[in-house]
Amino acid sequence: MSKDSFDRRSFLKGAAASAAAVIGTQFAAASAPAQAAEQNPARDNGPTSGKVISRPGSDYMVDVIKATGIEYIASNPGSSFRSLQESIINYGGNKKPEFLTCMHEESSVAMAHGYAKAAGKPMGILAHGTVGLQHAAMAVYNAWCDRVPVMIFAGNFLDADKRRPGVEWYHCVQDPALILRDFTKWDDQPVSLQHFSESVMRAYKMALTPPMGPVVITVDGDLAEEATHDEKKLRMPKLTRSIPPQGDSGALSEAAKMLVSAERPVILADRAARSQEGIKRIVALAEALNAPVLDIGGRMNMPTTHYLCRSNDRRSLVGEADVALLLEVADPWGQFNTISDPHHEYRRLSKPDVKIIHISLGDTLTKSNYQDAQRFMPVDLAISGDAESSLPALTEAVKSALSSSRRSALADRSGKLREEHKRMKDRSRNTAAVGWDATPISTARMSATLWNTIKNEKWCMAVSGMQWNKSMWPATEYYNFIGGSGGSGVGYGAPAAVGAALANRDKGIITVSFEGDGDLMYAPGVLWTAAHHKIPLLMVMHNNRAYHQEVMHLQKMAALHNRRMDQAAIGTTIENPNIDFAKLAQSMGVYSEGPITSPAGVGPALAKALAVVKRGEPALVDVVCQGR
Amino acid sequence: MGKLILATLMIFAVSTALAQEKPSEGSLERGKQGYMKYMCYTCHGTVGQGADRGTGPKIAPGPMPYLAFALQVRTPRLDMPAYRKEFVSDQELTDIYAYLSTIKPGPSLKEIPLLNFQ
Repeated sequence: MSKDSFDRRSFLKGAAASAAAVIGTQFAAASAPAQAAEQNPARDNGPTSGKVISRPGSDYMVDVIKATGIEYIASNPGSSFRSLQESIINYGGNKKPEFLTCMHEESSVAMAHGYAKAAGKPMGILAHGTVGLQHAAMAVYNAWCDRVPVMIFAGNFLDADKRRPGVEWYHCVQDPALILRDFTKWDDQPVSLQHFSESVMRAYKMALTPPMGPVVITVDGDLAEEATHDEKKLRMPKLTRSIPPQGDSGALSEAAKMLVSAERPVILADRAARSQEGIKRIVALAEALNAPVLDIGGRMNMPTTHYLCRSNDRRSLVGEADVALLLEVADPWGQFNTISDPHHEYRRLSKPDVKIIHISLGDTLTKSNYQDAQRFMPVDLAISGDAESSLPALTEAVKSALSSSRRSALADRSGKLREEHKRMKDRSRNTAAVGWDATPISTARMSATLWNTIKNEKWCMAVSGMQWNKSMWPATEYYNFIGGSGGSGVGYGAPAAVGAALANRDKGIITVSFEGDGDLMYAPGVLWTAAHHKIPLLMVMHNNRAYHQEVMHLQKMAALHNRRMDQAAIGTTIENPNIDFAKLAQSMGVYSEGPITSPAGVGPALAKALAVVKRGEPALVDVVCQGR
Repeated sequence: MGKLILATLMIFAVSTALAQEKPSEGSLERGKQGYMKYMCYTCHGTVGQGADRGTGPKIAPGPMPYLAFALQVRTPRLDMPAYRKEFVSDQELTDIYAYLSTIKPGPSLKEIPLLNFQ
């Protein structure tokens, strides 16, 4: 720090010393060493109240962040990054990036998670030192498991000599990113502004290079607060995104031969598509092979209206398949095998001689401690490559490998495949009809009613714990579904939906979500964030008044232990008192309706809520519904 | 074939045992209370309609025959927990079955415009 810089800590110390004199001498002996430190001439910088730092390091940091194109920084405010926050607002004009006020770091990260999947680019988040990073950790893990880019900026004061005593020490840490390192792609702790600019560009580039993932950059408080020196020497690095790698051409040709000769091929797509173009490529391959596609749902991969989309027929298609092509499947073993619960009995779901091809970059980004890599799956042909990038070459190889007679044979599958697709859709609708008039309201009716409300809009179903939407709703666009949480860590739903809605706000896309009651209660403050920043989102409570899945786990354990079966509600239900989610939302400025307990009441409530959302505001409809 | 015969004999034996123990009358009211008390609805829905994500199959309206029902509850296939006699009596089981048997079918698919997704 230069001698003429504004040393606000000296000012604060002076004030603290005066206060101590007033309080008395109760701890005089213990304070003697501190008095010696006060007498250190190196710390005596004279009067500082009139000094100004007109070009703090944090201004340059904002220039760097702007250069990446990051549009939003979600954050709960914290003193460790106060200079950067001030620079974002006053120097940067609070635009690109705009500071989004959040009430929990888990909300900040989960918002960024949902935003990235809807926007196709990352959002920044600011976390306040040790405490902010610990709050953020669960949501970071979800983003990691889902291979979603998030730019995490963590405030910290590296120089212990300058830290204020007390709280600032609790909030500082030698290695801020350590707590996240098991489930982030990269991190750095820059010690100069040049270092900061290069590390931010590297982090952004790495976060967006498939397999994507969250990254962490520490913002040193002193570097941010102190003056920028020799700015002419600083060089803003050029940001160039990496081209995702295509799989080896020879391997793709071999895969094509296997697929063309298969009698019962099946394609399983998980985190395969990144765009509408990705969907087109999957459709092109499926049509070239006339092979059914199981969209596992990590992303929107296959139009649900296409006759080759057979996502609800997984058991039969996997069970009959002779060749299976996997496209960025997070849990390949689980597609072909299962373990019963609670007896842990192994069961194979496929033929023992099924040939498996996997196009994935999964092996290029794994870590040891957390077990998100899933069980090891032996495959016949493992192609290291980005699925979306590899599909055009694979499709061309398939077309080249097809003889005219084989092409004709594959075309002959169409009639049966169309019939099977229709049967699958009819089965879903018939199943949905059962219990239609039930109270609590059936989840199928809730889903169908929401569809009826938004069917004439461009829509995005951002978050849902139920399958009805995918099995019944006609979805053709990449933005229709954005996949799940990744790590199944509770608390993802509402903030992820708010983040997706933010990304969709300027695209004319209506964002809707089904919010779990237990999930929302992890950090409901995100409702306030949605209202404050006027983020239009239609939230429908999937309010089953329970941690429903856990009820079933308790029942299984009681049976396993040969004990009474009527106490599974203890510790698993959210009743007595029932939570009034409409009031909760209203208290934070969100329009709400509910609790809706009558099936006929859902449609009118959703229509009113949609009108609010179309005005640009969030709305919540609390529907008391069946467990699942 | 041998396995099939063995399975058939086992089902017959268990069914016979269950049949001998089945109380003659079930109470709809008590059955509904029991269905809720033992939280059958968590997997099968409050009117037996079944649940999303393959949690539990539809069991009403039109439940399976009582013997098959009792066999499944006492010695279940797949992931369903066993509801043993010590904790759910034969009378309670009969009452629950009575409740399931009285559940009326809802509207058919053709009568529900909201399920027309075309």
